[in-house]
Amino acid sequence: MARLAGLKRIPLALAIAAGFTALAAHADAPKSAAQGFLQDTCFKCHSEGSESAISVFSGFYLDRLDVDHIAANPEQWEKVVRKLRTGMMPPSSEPRPDPVARDQFVTYLETELDRLAARQPNPGRPALHRLNRAEYQNAIRDLLALDIDAKELLPGDDASAGFDNVAGSLGVSPVFIERYANAAARIARLAVGDVAMTAEQKTHYVPNFLMQSGHIEGLPYGTRGGLKVEHFFPLDAEYLIDINLMSAVNGIHIGNTVPNEQLELSMDGKRLALFDISKASPAPPAGEEKDAAEDAADNAGAPKKPEPKSAAAAETETPQNPQNPQDQEKAGEKWEVRVPVTAGPHVLMAAFIKKNHAPIEDVVEQPSNTLLDPLFNGTPEVTMIAHVGSIVVDGPYEATGPGDTPSRERIFRCHPEAASEQAACAREIVSTLAHRAYRQPPTTEHLSVLMDFYQQGYERGGFEKGVEVALQRILSSPQFVFRFERDPDRGSPDKPYRLTDTELASRLAFFLWSSIPDDELLDLASRERLSKPAILEQQVRRMLADPKSEALTKNFAGQWLYLRNLDIKGASTYEFPDFDDNLRNGFRHETELLFDNVVRNDRSVLELLTADYTFVDERLAKHYGMPGIYGSQFRKVPVTDPRRQGLLGQGSILLVTSQPNRTSPVTRGVWVLENILGAHVPAPPPVNIPPLEEAAGKVDLSTLSVRQLMEAHRGKPFCEGCHKIMDPVGLAMENYDVIGRWRELDHGAKIDAKGHLVDGTEIDGPVELRAALLKYKEQIVRNMTEKLMVYATGRGMEYYDQPVIRSIVRNAAESDYRFSTIVMGVVTSAPFRMRASESLAEGTVTSADARWLGDRR
Amino acid sequence: MTFLTKKHLSRRAVLRGAGATIALPLLDAMLPSATALANTAAKPTTRYSFVHLPHGAIMGKFTPKTVGRDFELSPILKPFEPYKSYMTVVSNLDHKMATSQSPEEAAGDHDRTASVFLSGAHIKRTIGQDIHAGITIDQLLAQNIGQDNPLPSLEMCIEDVGALGVCGAGYSCAYANTISWSSPTSPLPMERNPQVIFERLFGAGGTPAERAERRQVQASILDSVVAEVSSLGRGLGANDKSRLDDYLSDVREIERRIALAQERAGAASGERPEVAELPFEEHAELMFDLQVLAFKTDITRISTLMLSRDLSGAVYPASGVPDGYHAISHHQENATRMERYAKLNTYHMSVVAQLVGKLASTPDGDGTLLDHMLMLYGSPMANSNAHDHYPLPVVVFGRADGRYAGGKHLMAAERTPMANLFMTIASREKIELKTFGDSTGLLEI
Repeated sequence: MARLAGLKRIPLALAIAAGFTALAAHADAPKSAAQGFLQDTCFKCHSEGSESAISVFSGFYLDRLDVDHIAANPEQWEKVVRKLRTGMMPPSSEPRPDPVARDQFVTYLETELDRLAARQPNPGRPALHRLNRAEYQNAIRDLLALDIDAKELLPGDDASAGFDNVAGSLGVSPVFIERYANAAARIARLAVGDVAMTAEQKTHYVPNFLMQSGHIEGLPYGTRGGLKVEHFFPLDAEYLIDINLMSAVNGIHIGNTVPNEQLELSMDGKRLALFDISKASPAPPAGEEKDAAEDAADNAGAPKKPEPKSAAAAETETPQNPQNPQDQEKAGEKWEVRVPVTAGPHVLMAAFIKKNHAPIEDVVEQPSNTLLDPLFNGTPEVTMIAHVGSIVVDGPYEATGPGDTPSRERIFRCHPEAASEQAACAREIVSTLAHRAYRQPPTTEHLSVLMDFYQQGYERGGFEKGVEVALQRILSSPQFVFRFERDPDRGSPDKPYRLTDTELASRLAFFLWSSIPDDELLDLASRERLSKPAILEQQVRRMLADPKSEALTKNFAGQWLYLRNLDIKGASTYEFPDFDDNLRNGFRHETELLFDNVVRNDRSVLELLTADYTFVDERLAKHYGMPGIYGSQFRKVPVTDPRRQGLLGQGSILLVTSQPNRTSPVTRGVWVLENILGAHVPAPPPVNIPPLEEAAGKVDLSTLSVRQLMEAHRGKPFCEGCHKIMDPVGLAMENYDVIGRWRELDHGAKIDAKGHLVDGTEIDGPVELRAALLKYKEQIVRNMTEKLMVYATGRGMEYYDQPVIRSIVRNAAESDYRFSTIVMGVVTSAPFRMRASESLAEGTVTSADARWLGDRR
Repeated sequence: MTFLTKKHLSRRAVLRGAGATIALPLLDAMLPSATALANTAAKPTTRYSFVHLPHGAIMGKFTPKTVGRDFELSPILKPFEPYKSYMTVVSNLDHKMATSQSPEEAAGDHDRTASVFLSGAHIKRTIGQDIHAGITIDQLLAQNIGQDNPLPSLEMCIEDVGALGVCGAGYSCAYANTISWSSPTSPLPMERNPQVIFERLFGAGGTPAERAERRQVQASILDSVVAEVSSLGRGLGANDKSRLDDYLSDVREIERRIALAQERAGAASGERPEVAELPFEEHAELMFDLQVLAFKTDITRISTLMLSRDLSGAVYPASGVPDGYHAISHHQENATRMERYAKLNTYHMSVVAQLVGKLASTPDGDGTLLDHMLMLYGSPMANSNAHDHYPLPVVVFGRADGRYAGGKHLMAAERTPMANLFMTIASREKIELKTFGDSTGLLEI
């Protein structure tokens, strides 16, 4: 191979690279230092003649590439950079290269790659982006002051590159069109307040495992359990509000044998009714029941008497036998009121008056998960108390008008007094709505289409109906549903171009708020001032300070850290009877608050790993063994125990990386390597791998610790190659069980959290693991920046984006990696501000792919 | 029936009369006034309906004593007397996959059988998201013959499935909450609320006029969106243009479906049901009516219905049996309790017979719906006292355009997989399969 001329070709202007080559120039071998480093360090496995399993599996032959001309294979060299920077190569089984030489080699590669990118900039080209569910929901909130549940209205979105806002996977299908069309009709009706709308039922469920034996945050003090929901009442009308209690699978209300239970239903803090729900309590005399009802009516200030119906009234003829719940009739009681409600959002609360300490006084200590086994219901010495299951709102009935809702206030900017003013007012309303919804002013032609729909509605039902139909048309428009970014009319097909200020406003808003831009952004964009650096920075700071930036926590951190998976992750009920929804929600809340704290107080992003504080309520504090914390509200507390500092000690992360019945060191290891360090862990080979339990063979599983199980599995040398990368990381976290509690034993065996990482570092336990990770500070920040770039641009990051990411990280280092400097780095970067022409974007990817495929063959 | 129109009676009045059943002329008013779509011999539109109960039966009183064409109806099957010529009792069917396959699965019969019922598949024991069962026969049919209908299939249930998240014995509730899976990992939710089903069939809106108006607005909006899309291509690259083209063709597809729905549902008069909690009989009847309506208007061809669910403690006052359903199904082989359970079984069959009756009396093309469909009633349990899954109580009704003769009691070979019946149904629908669930062959039905 002719690499001899390489040395001379390295531009001397490159100080670091030049130093490296100069160093090599003393060597006798007639080759570049880079070539020498590769040969000494990598070729043993990564070369044509190598028999290494890894090489065969990955097909990564470095001897086919020319390290002195990285421009020919930038994608491959970026992979090399990543492997070396994250300490993944060479593996611990191989001799360690000299750290200085290694650093010089990587720096050489990076410098060359950065120079190449500077010569041939490619900001990439995200595909035509459709609003995903979260964006749609927030857009409706900001456009119409209406809270909707997009999960109910729209089909789910596919994710790629770890996020569900990646344009390339946001496809459409007939189902999608149908749901969007129906959503448009429904939202327009709700927002305008169509008085002809028919009644419907909406059920607000309490999560199945939300334990209700204690106070729940947000509900009145002195109550236990229950549910608080904000419900949108579309019209001034009467509504039926039902409370259903949680039932066991056999239909029996849980806790129906506990006497004297009372359930309060309130709206906006005012009592609507107080229900006596105890089946076992003596039936109140008729008069007493009436008093209670009147009392409730007085409290509600409602003109109509609510109709609480005591359980006693629904007593059936069926013989009851509380000792054998299955012989009981499915309880048919109803706790329901019909009340007039003014249109708009109202807070409904249903909670039990705290009267019973029955479970606490039981002989048998209750697990936190009080619904663990509903068949306990009625078992002697075990008391189950009633749980709210859902609140159902049914209406509107006998509507008196659309009322004054925030939505109507936002929509009706004018109120025509005379018929002659209606059309002009409608035009103002419609054009304003369209401008906000489309993130740019509608064209004259399109506005006249919208006004045709206003007219169509007007003819059916007057001014408001006209506005409703025009709004439905706006929400059905592809201009609302898609985020168009257009190539300039004139421009060189091979040159990237800047986004317009209007397009920039949308990118900013969807990045930081997961929503449409507000009027301030639209206004700055229309005057082409948004892209001015000072104004841009000021706007980014304003947007981060706005409560709407919580979307970053929900959607970015929620997906980056896998917090969204908490919803579908459970711990085995029987092995972890203290696990319930309260704990699950607490886990999520803790991590969200930590991330939010970093965003709002502009902390170093490394604090996510090192924070000597966290956020807990009483339940979570107890779980972590933190004394002296009482009450259901979350608060910031110092964390002195280093084992609980930062993400790696948080229940959220530990639970989402576990199986329901055991920890998974592999999953934990992969999570840390990929989500924190940004190393790429090889995917499992395409062969059928049995789960741990099966691999262990006929051994009695109950006697094996997870470490022993894994050792049985990685006995095969082929598996060991990768597992030795992931496993030590996960095994260092073995002291945390499935639900994040500290433990010393696993299946009777003392936990062994020792191991050596792939870079050779010896560690024992999570604190040393964290210290070992923090040696790779820059990589940790680089990884978060890369994820943030994916999320911000809506496309996966390619090799040609890496130089940009490196430069953002370098610049952020000066401010100790404060969150805002990274965000500013992202929003001022070329991939965020610019777009490659299609030929450039395609050309780059295709040729690289072609070369790579050629190499592999 | 408490299907009310608010013009007649306010909900308030219903609440005052709580407990009392207020009968109103019901779905007759809802039934299409126009004639049903022509169902000709040249273009048969076969429908399939699957009805489930969880807890088996007293098999000694379910299985007819005699076999063949002139079989004698058993006591439990007596309610089907009028439809005997349309019915085939299939005995000796087995759901082996519902029995436990390993010690861990031992206690999970009630937690997995619902999902075995129409799939014959092994159910993966898990409470995580890695649920795995098998595609069910209704969905196989929906994927093959239901795609041209506005609704490929309709899934309904009577009892609230919003019970606890983990059912028992380490099984996810997903398995107990449905009998319909569109793939081994996709359970379909069963809908309990007749109002929601009605809207799914005929669109949102309380009255036919409202629904028609909404569809019309929808159609004209989509029409205008089609025109708008052509103006949006400027400045887009080829990839984005092709995404926009896909979008456009999807919009056109929805336009087509709306037109189809307008044509088929336009004739359905009456008002959307306004429901409170309904007693079982009324709820079931409403579901039957919705199903008949959906078939008659050809909005869908496939339906599944769970009349109860595993471990249900429901009491059916009209049956004259005071016990809860699950409790009495564990009759402990006690003669008195078995008698009571047989009585409850017979009552359940009388409810199912109402559906058969509706299907038999609804004109469809050259005959009735029952001539052009197959309805399967069954349970994935046999003797529920022992959690047996053999021999199962299974009856099919209807001629499915001449594919089934009816009027006989088929005694299949001992331990014939129930999946063989599904294979037979698929094969007569000309769906080529190697196997289905744990099937081993076809039935001579």
